[in-house]
Amino acid sequence: MHKKFLFLLSIFIIAGVLLAACQPAQTAAEEPAAEEPAAETVEEEAVSEDPAAVAASLPREETLYFNGQQWGSVVCWNPYSSNCNNAMALAQQDNARVTMFETPYLYDMLDGKVYPLLADGDYAWDAGMTQITFKINSAAHWSDGTPVTAEDVAYTWATHVKYNTQFGAANKAYIDTIEAPDASTVVVKAVLGEDGKALNPLLVQAYLSSNYVIQKAWTEALEARTNGDAAALMADIAEDAVFSGPYHKFFTDDTKVVMIRDDNYWGQDSSMFGKLPVPKYLAHVIYKDNAAGTTALQAGEVDVSQQFNSNVQDLWLKDNLPISTYLPEAPYNIGASLPTAFFNMASYGLDQVAVRKAIAIAVDYDTIISNAMTNQSATFTQVPRSLMNPTPGEQALFDHDAVADLQWAGKDIEGANKLLDDAGIVDTDGDGWREYDGKKLQYIATCPNGWSDWQAAIEVVAAAGKEIGIDITTNYPEWSVYQTVVTNWPLPETGYDIFMMWSDGAGPTQPWGRIRHLLSSEFAQTTNNWNGNWGGYKNADADALIQEIPTLTDATALKADYTELVKIYLTDVPSFTLMYRPQAFHTVNESVWTNFPHEGDGTSPAVPPLDLTDGWSIAGLYNLTLVK
Amino acid sequence: MKKYRNYFVNKLFWLLITTIFAFILNFTLPRLMPGDPVAAIMARIAQGMSNSTGMKEVYEQYAKLFGTNQPILEQFFLYIKNVFHGNFGTSFSQYPRPVSDIIRSSILWTVCLQFPAIIIGWLIGNMLGALAAYVKKGYDKVLMPVSIFVSNIPAFGMAVILLVIFGVYLRWFPTSGGYGFDLIPNASWKFIWSVIVHYQLPFWSIVLTTIGGQAIGMRSMSIYELNADYVKYSRFMGVKDKQIVGYVFRNAMLPQVTGLALSIGTMVGGALVAEIIFSYPGLGYTLLNGIMGQDYPLISAVTLIITVMVLLANFLIEIIYGLIDPRVKAAQSE
Repeated sequence: MHKKFLFLLSIFIIAGVLLAACQPAQTAAEEPAAEEPAAETVEEEAVSEDPAAVAASLPREETLYFNGQQWGSVVCWNPYSSNCNNAMALAQQDNARVTMFETPYLYDMLDGKVYPLLADGDYAWDAGMTQITFKINSAAHWSDGTPVTAEDVAYTWATHVKYNTQFGAANKAYIDTIEAPDASTVVVKAVLGEDGKALNPLLVQAYLSSNYVIQKAWTEALEARTNGDAAALMADIAEDAVFSGPYHKFFTDDTKVVMIRDDNYWGQDSSMFGKLPVPKYLAHVIYKDNAAGTTALQAGEVDVSQQFNSNVQDLWLKDNLPISTYLPEAPYNIGASLPTAFFNMASYGLDQVAVRKAIAIAVDYDTIISNAMTNQSATFTQVPRSLMNPTPGEQALFDHDAVADLQWAGKDIEGANKLLDDAGIVDTDGDGWREYDGKKLQYIATCPNGWSDWQAAIEVVAAAGKEIGIDITTNYPEWSVYQTVVTNWPLPETGYDIFMMWSDGAGPTQPWGRIRHLLSSEFAQTTNNWNGNWGGYKNADADALIQEIPTLTDATALKADYTELVKIYLTDVPSFTLMYRPQAFHTVNESVWTNFPHEGDGTSPAVPPLDLTDGWSIAGLYNLTLVK
Repeated sequence: MKKYRNYFVNKLFWLLITTIFAFILNFTLPRLMPGDPVAAIMARIAQGMSNSTGMKEVYEQYAKLFGTNQPILEQFFLYIKNVFHGNFGTSFSQYPRPVSDIIRSSILWTVCLQFPAIIIGWLIGNMLGALAAYVKKGYDKVLMPVSIFVSNIPAFGMAVILLVIFGVYLRWFPTSGGYGFDLIPNASWKFIWSVIVHYQLPFWSIVLTTIGGQAIGMRSMSIYELNADYVKYSRFMGVKDKQIVGYVFRNAMLPQVTGLALSIGTMVGGALVAEIIFSYPGLGYTLLNGIMGQDYPLISAVTLIITVMVLLANFLIEIIYGLIDPRVKAAQSE
């Protein structure tokens, strides 16, 4: 009797557990259906302008959701800091993020040109190439209503230099001063070279589309409260920052960041966009990994996805979701950067061009592209390798025929074997591995642990080695260790013979900046090297060309120099591109919003697929429409 | 009573010694990791920039700021001084955010997820285990294999199974976050309901994996106790079944209570797997990121909290054992 009672009791408990699990389930199951009316109700509440109601939830049809930009919590809103981890608001880079703060010009990676934002009209170099002059748009004003002036631009630069911010440190070798002869005129004086011309005009120009203009009055207030202490100035969380952009902070916590439109934004002036950006809110839920982000994209909780979604085409081909990418077919996005494998020039045998080139031409790039990138990269047959990314602007910068003999598409085992045999690098002791000067060629190929696409690529590189009698094994240290090692020469004797790092994407200094970072000996064999040429390659001819290019204005001479650099790169093979990667992944779910940038969408200038936040792509925010 | 005081003082003494060593290890171990935390920050800053020359100066600024260029002993005394002022320092990876602020914002999510999950899992598991031992027959034959099966599903497996079935296919529960993706925290029923709904999958993924292990442990202990001599003797003596069961479960509970206390002690380490798979805000993921970014102050602070909680939990168990089980006290104070 007793046992029966206990048996019944336990059945009751189990049933209770199951029911407890299911109880919210039933209500939650009704949630999706209930979502639409809920959104409408909230919208009505929002219209009633009750701040409490607006704060409670974000109307779906007024909010554009992102993923893949913000990882981890937002730390600060300080445009002088480079460490705010605030991806929705702050990114002073080649394609600067201009949601909250603005640059004088916007870069468009599709045509390689810049378009005025805070500036009025184009900038102009003086005849002697010593300084740039541009005007500030008289309509531009700060969030506090005061006009944006040339003095703000000048003071921003002076502050960067005074406090040695990262932006000051990066540019002060090229920009001497920025002055404001009157309220609307900005003069950027370059550091001059021996020839009396700007030392590097490209980097001076790039400053105008990469760096924000920050209000002088607010900067002075910031300086006052931090008592002129550089560390304190850059560590200020700056939640009171005055801004000129269309959005600003609405809410952040450890799970999301939300920005709200400034309905007083100056850009609605007819001299700029003529209207406000369409979404009232920009929201980014902080997902813990790509898988969580992809799940949310599928569920329609994300509109613009800036993350790698594996086999992205399945989302519309198999799942029939209203999801699309910038290009309808593979590679789905515009490739812009070139993830690269570097050879450690100090490793035994890798100082031999034949060994480096043999490995590079034996690699099966198609496998890398189909496995690691799930075909989200152009193949090397579609876009033969050079130093340029696949954008038409960069591809036009070198003579394709002149380098055709030097290019390779990969998986050329026969060619690689012949190259090694001809160089006398053969297997002398019959163990199956080649020797150079009697010593077996044995390397470790590496990349950071957990970077799955890179790891897949490195495995293919190692497999190629085995095909041509070079023993390549793989090793994957943690990123924290990896990045400390590769940025500080000398590299260890073993473990980092072939290693992956990034290269520059699209930007106003490209492809020159990328080539400099890949080949220039100014970075070779240095410490704290976050620039490039991590393998320690040195070539005086390449250096001379890299130094010359920024000062060239003649298109033919420029093309000749670039062609020569491509020849050097493909001949010496100090590193080799493994795949093309987009500047930013750009996958959109059109269940709520539509009219996103797509190839051939008729916009002029064409809006690039950079998530409607970076450079000229912000123009896409003005074209969005609701599906319903 | 004097004996008990000796026992107590003895335990307290060892608690202090352990705390001192734990303190030293908490400081030292993260710093023994290879790699450079400032380099990690530089890597983040340098990406996407057209020109990262001048980074060396910025690197040195940060190294000075974080004191990573100071001798390790100096860093240690600074750390001790700060901790005694209740200041865990500034996070490296989320600079300039104070570590205390990071912990404050995520610990509540972790505790609210873990504490009920551990308690419920423990209660249900033990109850089922005890029943299996006592009722036996078909019940045991079904429960045991199921428990073994469930407890052997790794936590990430359970989380993914629940996510795919209830989140992706059935769409009963949201797949990520601590509350609705379209909500802003506020004191409304809609928000509270959203928190409850988002709570379910991570919660059950922890409870289900806990139940199995607890049930197995409790069952073995109970079977062992049910066959103990005192049980047989009591039966011969005609003691009532109910009373015997009381003795048996009280004895079988002892190791289970220790397990519970330790689980609660380590709880602030976070339910890492559940937090990652369900993108649930919490300390586990924060700690993982701290480790990846070599955020020494953050790692030290979280591990210090865990250490102190485990030590306290252990200390309390031993004190309570001394009270409830005279054998323990007698053995220890000899």
